[in-house]
Amino acid sequence: MTIKNKKRADILVENIIFIVLNLIFLSILVFFIFSKTSSAAVLEEAYAKQIALMIDSAKPGTRLILNMEDAFNEVAAGFAGDIVSIDNDNNLVTVKLREKGGYTYSFFNDLKISAVSGKEKGEYVFFIE
Amino acid sequence: MIKNTENIADKKGAEKIISIYWFFILFIVAGGVIYMVILFYGEPYDVREIEANLLVNSIADCISEAGFLREQVLNKEFRDNFLEVCRINFNVEDFQEWKNEEQYYLHASFYNFDTESFIFDISEGNINLEEFCKEQYKGQKNNPVCISRSFYSLDKQGGKYKINIIGAVRKTEKNAR
Repeated sequence: MTIKNKKRADILVENIIFIVLNLIFLSILVFFIFSKTSSAAVLEEAYAKQIALMIDSAKPGTRLILNMEDAFNEVAAGFAGDIVSIDNDNNLVTVKLREKGGYTYSFFNDLKISAVSGKEKGEYVFFIE
Repeated sequence: MIKNTENIADKKGAEKIISIYWFFILFIVAGGVIYMVILFYGEPYDVREIEANLLVNSIADCISEAGFLREQVLNKEFRDNFLEVCRINFNVEDFQEWKNEEQYYLHASFYNFDTESFIFDISEGNINLEEFCKEQYKGQKNNPVCISRSFYSLDKQGGKYKINIIGAVRKTEKNAR
């Protein structure tokens, strides 16, 4: 009776270890995929290019609102600067979510652009003059 | 009794082999997933085609409005200050010597619609990019992207024009790897 119980316990422990190891392994995999897909570097590039293209397609007098909720959520702790900065002299848009980082892309539309942060709503507003 | 014990031992051994095999498969699958994710997210977003289209649209809007050629287009002054008048700036970021070589090119040529005779053209930016507008270079991701488009327009006197516009964007280092 005791031997039988021991065997059952052995099988149970083995299975639990096997399942736990699988879960750990899959969790690491999922964490890796999520960290890659929503990493600051990827968001910086995507938003910088998106904003540059938005500006290129805009006409004077346009107001553009861009939802950047995921970028606001991804901002590194300790970074207090502007997420989006526009250099009107050199026609550049820079998106920066961390102290050491940032992505810059140029646009050809030679208009005066101003960017206003709407952190509460998780959006950025661009005024094109 | 002996046979029964052997069977149990065999079964346990087989289970261990299956476990190792299972983890081996799991590692291969995970390796594949990781490789694909790195491959996909390691590539930059290629926005040059959209950019070149926007450039062509922007030039077309500057030349023609509601199907009519803007009056100043036929003036020499317009052609000489084309970028300024159309509010286009070819400045780019200082990235991998981009400042030494212009990253944009545009070319607008005007033809008489009836006779198809050439009237004049406007060209700005890096003329070397025009080479990549040939069919043989299209679709290759490491080459500059070129977009060409034609449209018809009228002037106020009823003169008919055919306008061909070519827009090319290089920026290869930030859009293709």
